[in-house]
Amino acid sequence: MSDVYVVGAGMTPFGKHPDKTAAELGAAAVLEALDDAGVSLGDIEAAWVGSVFQGMAMGQRALGEGGISGIPITNVENACSSGSTAIWGAAMSIKAGAYDVVLALGVEHLTGAFRGAFTPDESDVEAQRGLTMPAVYAMRAQRHFAQYGTTSEQLAAISAKNKRNAVANPLAQFKKPVSVDEVLASRMIADPLHLQECAPVSDGAAAVVLASRRKRAALGGSRAVRLAASALKSGRAEVGLKDMTVEDLTWRAAEEAYERSGIGPSDIRFAEVHDCFSIAEALRVEGLGLFPHGEYPARVVKGEADLDGRLPVNGSGGLLGKGHPLGATGVAQVVEVVRQLRGEAGPRQIPGARVGLAHCRGGKAQGVEGTACTVNILTV
Amino acid sequence: MVSTEAATAVMKRPYEVEDGLVRLRAGRCPACNAVYCPARLVCDGCGHRGLEEILLAPRGKIYTFTTVHQSTPEFQTPYHLCYVDFDEQVRVMLPAAGEERPRIGEDVEIVLGTGPRLVGTEPEEGPHALMVAGSATGRGEEDV
Repeated sequence: MSDVYVVGAGMTPFGKHPDKTAAELGAAAVLEALDDAGVSLGDIEAAWVGSVFQGMAMGQRALGEGGISGIPITNVENACSSGSTAIWGAAMSIKAGAYDVVLALGVEHLTGAFRGAFTPDESDVEAQRGLTMPAVYAMRAQRHFAQYGTTSEQLAAISAKNKRNAVANPLAQFKKPVSVDEVLASRMIADPLHLQECAPVSDGAAAVVLASRRKRAALGGSRAVRLAASALKSGRAEVGLKDMTVEDLTWRAAEEAYERSGIGPSDIRFAEVHDCFSIAEALRVEGLGLFPHGEYPARVVKGEADLDGRLPVNGSGGLLGKGHPLGATGVAQVVEVVRQLRGEAGPRQIPGARVGLAHCRGGKAQGVEGTACTVNILTV
Repeated sequence: MVSTEAATAVMKRPYEVEDGLVRLRAGRCPACNAVYCPARLVCDGCGHRGLEEILLAPRGKIYTFTTVHQSTPEFQTPYHLCYVDFDEQVRVMLPAAGEERPRIGEDVEIVLGTGPRLVGTEPEEGPHALMVAGSATGRGEEDV
């Protein structure tokens, strides 16, 4: 099986784009990724495209806008992990030896498609009883509070960190730092989560060009980043009375990625994780084995996850600061890791970053722990 | 094609009222005893096809909760939600009855209620969790 390399990365600014269509955003990200890789339209042999609320054939629409047609295009919907599932599929097709150059795109124009709080699918019994995505995480936060003494101030510090990081990211939706007090003063969405602890509604797109070892050598250059492992899992059925602060889904994806790459949690220098809510970041990094279970919020207050901390988390600003155009998110995380590993992250550059992890986890469906989760480990 | 029997099962309301007690309809795997609420076709744990219908106890205990202040436009806010643990080893998400903020570890009785209300629709009756006055576990810290 061939190793897989990320040879090109592109991303639009995240935010509100009322003057652009999803296809235009997708095409812009694709063209930037192709130029970054130094490949032409005709080099792309196949494409995987993730989106959630964009309707039929998002991939054909975006790639058509970008001058790519006729190749195998696979559209992926896997809740918030749609984009990272596209990367997983693209990587698998290279590993299988089917292709040498494959594109993965994530795209979402959410402001044109959605308002209010997210819910599981409307056929879902829990959604009919009033369950929203913020409520799911709020209830998990209440358990984290009760079991580990976590406080609202500690969770607010997670949001403040990510919004501070976003200020150093020109592609981020939020441009201003937000203090812990400001987070706590924002209106309550689902107790204990405030507005500033919930990812915003965003538009945007991100794309990566993946290549086999052979094609990477042919392209030359030294900026390629190796995708050491890409793991995808779905949530297990919820049977019995489980601890809702434990992320079995995240751990199973991480465990596979660690085993396949030979890179363990202690080797990870920095991580981009799925912080759809402040508490979510804690649940993710604890589930990934990057911080001891129950301790992450307190350690954020101590600065351990800052850009200059022991293990920077969401240096891009994360979903809370950078924005969360659902289908684009998982690809954007990998774009960020690639730029960090190339030393191209500007004012938010993590010195000596050689191994990074991207974690994306999406959705809720009745009776399962979560919809889908990916863990990608990248290295130079 | 969906059989008449299956179609009827889908239409069945998710609870029964017996002697004034509200009991949620659930499914138990006859092979490994795993309980699902709502029931499903196949047991995830052992793959057994066909669960037997059971009714859960009319009481449970609050595992966790939240108060929702912003929801989708259909729901009037605020409203309380909680996950309730039942002795049958199954956890169910239910709206809380009444104004009182739920507390972790508190015993609840399953009652019929109409919230959270859909804006502009006739309220539909469904199962809710009502904290039992003086269930004595207080704030429930011993439970965590």
